[in-house]
Amino acid sequence: MREKAEELLAKKAVDLIIGFGEGSLPLRATPLFIRTPEEADQLIWNSFCDNNLATYLHKFNRFKIGIVVKGCDARSVTALALEKRFQPDQVVLIGVPCQRMVDRRKVKKAAKGEILRSREEGELIIIEGDGFKSSLKRDDFLYTSCKACLHRNPVQANILVGEPVQESGLAEAYPDAREFENMAPEERWRFFEKETRRCIRCYACREACPMCYCAECFVDSSIPKWIEKGLSPSDLQFYHVVRAYHQTGRCTACGACERACPMEIPLVYLTQKLNQEVSELFDFEAGADSKRLPPLSTYDVEDKQEFIK
Amino acid sequence: MENTKSWEPKILAFLCNWCSYAGADLAGTSRNQYPPNIRVIRVPCSGRVNPLFILKALQGGIDGVLVSGCHPGDCHYLTGNYIGRRKSATFKRFLEYLGIEEGRVQFSWVSAAEGVKFSQVITEVTNDIRKLGPAKRLVKKSEELGVRSFPDP
Amino acid sequence: MKLNPARLSKKDLAPFLKGLAKDYDLYAPVRLTDGVSVLKKVEPSDEIDLGSNPQKGLKEVFFPQWEVMFQYEAVERRSRVASMEAVPRERVVLGARPCDIQAISILDDVFVGKEFTDTYYLQKRQKTTVIGLACHEPCSTCFCSSMGGGPFHREGSDLLLIDLGDAYLVEFLTEKGKAFRKNEFLKKATAKEMALAKEIEGQASKKTNASVPVGGIDKKLDQMLESPLWNRIHEKCIGCGACTLLCPTCHCFDIADEALDKGGRRVRNWDSCLFPLYSLETSGHNPRPSGRERTRQRLMHKFNYFPKNFKKIACVGCGRCILYCPVNFDIRHAIEMIQKEEGATAL
Repeated sequence: MREKAEELLAKKAVDLIIGFGEGSLPLRATPLFIRTPEEADQLIWNSFCDNNLATYLHKFNRFKIGIVVKGCDARSVTALALEKRFQPDQVVLIGVPCQRMVDRRKVKKAAKGEILRSREEGELIIIEGDGFKSSLKRDDFLYTSCKACLHRNPVQANILVGEPVQESGLAEAYPDAREFENMAPEERWRFFEKETRRCIRCYACREACPMCYCAECFVDSSIPKWIEKGLSPSDLQFYHVVRAYHQTGRCTACGACERACPMEIPLVYLTQKLNQEVSELFDFEAGADSKRLPPLSTYDVEDKQEFIK
Repeated sequence: MENTKSWEPKILAFLCNWCSYAGADLAGTSRNQYPPNIRVIRVPCSGRVNPLFILKALQGGIDGVLVSGCHPGDCHYLTGNYIGRRKSATFKRFLEYLGIEEGRVQFSWVSAAEGVKFSQVITEVTNDIRKLGPAKRLVKKSEELGVRSFPDP
Repeated sequence: MKLNPARLSKKDLAPFLKGLAKDYDLYAPVRLTDGVSVLKKVEPSDEIDLGSNPQKGLKEVFFPQWEVMFQYEAVERRSRVASMEAVPRERVVLGARPCDIQAISILDDVFVGKEFTDTYYLQKRQKTTVIGLACHEPCSTCFCSSMGGGPFHREGSDLLLIDLGDAYLVEFLTEKGKAFRKNEFLKKATAKEMALAKEIEGQASKKTNASVPVGGIDKKLDQMLESPLWNRIHEKCIGCGACTLLCPTCHCFDIADEALDKGGRRVRNWDSCLFPLYSLETSGHNPRPSGRERTRQRLMHKFNYFPKNFKKIACVGCGRCILYCPVNFDIRHAIEMIQKEEGATAL
């Protein structure tokens, strides 16, 4: 990856490359912005490269950008290109087939104390702290969205770094949505209500999401004022319903929203349901086809309408 | 504070100006009776209805929402109701997924000539909502902040 | 009169709290889910998690994320207004960390000034007894010792609890704290226990990072308003606001009027300088138009503007911003980069 990045920068094919660098804490990587071939050595790749870097494309859309993407991120870029967020030849995708990312929170909870050092060795994560050292199997600690992932290979990549991986043969797609739907309606509402109640309206979910880029988000609208800025439980529910719903037909199930939340609110089950709907109703998956219009900006005369009186 | 014996559902009906609203008018002039529980909001097209309207209504304590428009192919703006149909399908499924009772939010096609159908739809919807009971989910309560009731003057 | 410390057996903690609840409203870290807790008023069904360092800390007790300032109601043809700053019962906060407590002194500078006083803040402040909990196992991200504090920092607490294992050592630090000395669950501490506490304190103080280079940073920043550093440092920040909301010293707020059916209320909510809307003016002009200006503002406020006004750095080294930032923006690195930046004089 470093070679390819160096090449791109040396040829001036791009002005800027957005990738991952070493984090300042164990179990973390951090977004890295490099502009010269010499800086390419700082790029890393590991199981903690969990941010969706496509969210930075909005900030830098005056430049030619090379961006390191996993399967889900590549789809986000395609979806954004469809929404005309940048010129077609402006973005070079450096694709990495994804080994699926490890949830550092799950790892922390399995540790016997504060983790001071960590490293990866093949299928294991080795964690060390004061007076303990453990090896954990990385596959036991994957993110919710990664466990449900069906498209780990960034097929749209201009440059592919690494061998394509075998897509996981999930018995059923959208497992978290299906599991949630097994509950009775009252239970589902109680779960949604309980989980959203601790939201602190930091908007980390919104900012981490590459598809949230409205110049004025509905929460900031004062005419009309949809919701207040405080923590009224009803407003918190409203916020999460709408933020998820605004992803209909646009979400690539990257899970960045859930990972960004400081209060550990589950969010993947919301967008997973919308992705399932869009697949069932319109046979559409965000970012898969760079030519098909997003489902809510078009129509089919034959759309289902059995629910309409 | 509602006395459940005498509780009457409050239903918001978004009616598209060209078809459903005219259909409602026809029901009225033909003296077709229908339950008086609906409050009508006239919109230019069913496709104009923003899902946020539905949420805001539920938040305010509305017990049921109906969105009604022209039949497919008859939209005054040609394709508005098709877009509306997609929004309605996805939003309705999402709300039910979250646990909002099935039947709180309903949709219909009623043309300007269908005064009878309009009364039938309203009667059905009102009965459905009556069976569901007052809306409790998503409702914003003013007591939330532990705001004390006013001290006596 | 200096009082000898007492001891509170952990077995007595539940009845101690129950006893307190008779006379006080109790605030403590409450577990919301595995790994998440906030410092809030304890309801009967809440699970207290004293060992945790809550995401939302002591700031919430005196300066809640949302509070009603006043409410009004239409009555017949007139309206009546009720102001909501009164605090009906005395409060006790249990389990506040020394970093959070140090942060309160920063908030005091803002809200309890010589000329202007925020009555909503002040009422809560005056009616609250703070029982701090010393950090016997600081995290590697804690750098309180670099910021004038420390894991056993006592200033600001009325009482300090030190975890000895099967009991807490209870130090009486202020007159307000001494009022608790007659409490039936606070027994006499042994000399051995007091010695153990000193040992724990010594070890804990070594663990926190005392080498974050904040010396002279305010003077350094005086020259750096237009430094090219700001162009690079803001890049990975996504502008979410999590750091500011979880920061124990951040205190931006927004006031909004909410109309309810027959009346309404004026509410104060937390806000963040990292949100673009925060500095957006009615004309449409935004003096902080991009992440560069907003990130610069956050760092300048903490390390330059606030020290200029109040002679304190508005950061207590709690490490929450480092732990919870979605993109691992590390304020310690930012401080180092600022100090290293050339073309500016440092003292």
